[in-house]
Amino acid sequence: MYSPLVIEHFSNPSYVGDVPNPDHEFEVGNSVCGDRIRIQLNSESDKVDQIAFRAWGCATSIATADIFCKSVTGKSYTDIEARSEGEIRDLLGELDPPQKHCIDIMMSLHSLLLKNVLKEDA
Amino acid sequence: MSETTLSGYFDYNATTPLSNSVKSEMLKALDIYGNASSPYSRAQESKALVDSARENMAQLMGAETSQMFFTSCGSEANNWAIKGSLARHAKNPGHIITTAIEHPSVLEPIAYMEQVHGFSVTRLVPDVEGRVREEDFLSALRPNTQFVSVMYANNETGALQPIGPILEEARRRAITSHTDAVQALGKCTLDDRILAADYVSFSAHKFYGPKGIGGLYVRRPGELAQLIHGGGQEMGLRAGTENLVGMAGLARASEDCTQLLPEWESHYRRLRHRITRKLQDSGLGIEFNGPQDPSKCVGNTINFSVPGVRGEALAALLDHKHQTQVSIGSACSNNKSSKSSHVLVAMGLGDERIQSAIRMSFGRYTTEDELDRFVNNLHACAEQLLGISTPS
Repeated sequence: MYSPLVIEHFSNPSYVGDVPNPDHEFEVGNSVCGDRIRIQLNSESDKVDQIAFRAWGCATSIATADIFCKSVTGKSYTDIEARSEGEIRDLLGELDPPQKHCIDIMMSLHSLLLKNVLKEDA
Repeated sequence: MSETTLSGYFDYNATTPLSNSVKSEMLKALDIYGNASSPYSRAQESKALVDSARENMAQLMGAETSQMFFTSCGSEANNWAIKGSLARHAKNPGHIITTAIEHPSVLEPIAYMEQVHGFSVTRLVPDVEGRVREEDFLSALRPNTQFVSVMYANNETGALQPIGPILEEARRRAITSHTDAVQALGKCTLDDRILAADYVSFSAHKFYGPKGIGGLYVRRPGELAQLIHGGGQEMGLRAGTENLVGMAGLARASEDCTQLLPEWESHYRRLRHRITRKLQDSGLGIEFNGPQDPSKCVGNTINFSVPGVRGEALAALLDHKHQTQVSIGSACSNNKSSKSSHVLVAMGLGDERIQSAIRMSFGRYTTEDELDRFVNNLHACAEQLLGISTPS
């Protein structure tokens, strides 16, 4: 069963698409179950300005990508970096055991976002 | 049964709704409370109900009432046939032939007999359309083959197995045989040769009866080990006070099936032909998984893959946007793994095709209009998911 949060973001995702000339682009995948998520984004003033995703995967992984995009839009990288593991986990709400691999996907999306941005800064 | 209530339900292989006639008989049975094993007059009505359920079940199978045994479900019937038959060989374990596409309630007890009691097992692999080959069965036979278990119809693809020749050959060689007919009974006319089997399993909730009751045809009851020791019910083989309400439902479901199966079967065939054509014309590049020849599968089942779309996501979208229920070939499992259909894997299909697989199974209440709506909704949902995955 899917939570109302997952259903909403999976059925009516708001961040599907492509960002023209993105500052950053990265992919998260799960080689075993085959989920693939691509993120593109532009930054402005140390904040996430535009962000969009493409995904091939289960309902919960699509919802995860959309929830991630919503949660970082307009946020500064400093604030995103300050998120604890628990806060990141809580973004997805209640998940059934088979959906919990999406917590790892959410963690990876955060770490890859910061890694890409910090690499650029360096 | 209201068509509105069932609109969008395409998972009849998982379970069927109770028919109104079955429901009515079950409601009446709620007032019958005498213990069928008691000698007094108040028990007569209960005993008559048990007898009629057994008679109707026997008539449906073309068997004798003394050969029909009640169980709680198809899984129990499968377990009982396998363990109850092989128990007598436990001190001298030989060889078992089964298939790689059986229901887990066959695969698991056979694996148990292999691991715990030392039987050797050959699991026949199907062809790419999901049917095992008679010649593979013949090649697998050994001098010490003691047991054969091959399903009648596969639950995921609907593929009918060459059960007649397999059961006849097993009988000719005096090898004990079992067929899991759970997905065949109520969907297709059974091959007369099914009674060559020593054991046949079935379940009421797959043909408009209630959950919680199934049955086992036993050709020679004297050779089957007791399942439940106790009060002597079921001719001493399966003790326990009878499930009267379940039996009332099974009795009526069996009677309806005996009378209405030809009508149901032609309805399923018409629907399957229609949905096949609609899916072919959908523009989604549908790939069908299972027999291409409709006569090689039950009429109510169709399994297909939508290229580029994950079946799990498609099923979820159909459910939440269109209140439409189907089954899938691959689901996420705990922690980064996926649980793929062992049937589609055994057929040799690729990972992406399995991950994109959908099983649709329909029934007596399904209408042509519903199928047409299904294809429209499927198209809309698949387009939405393709829009999420494909860069513009």
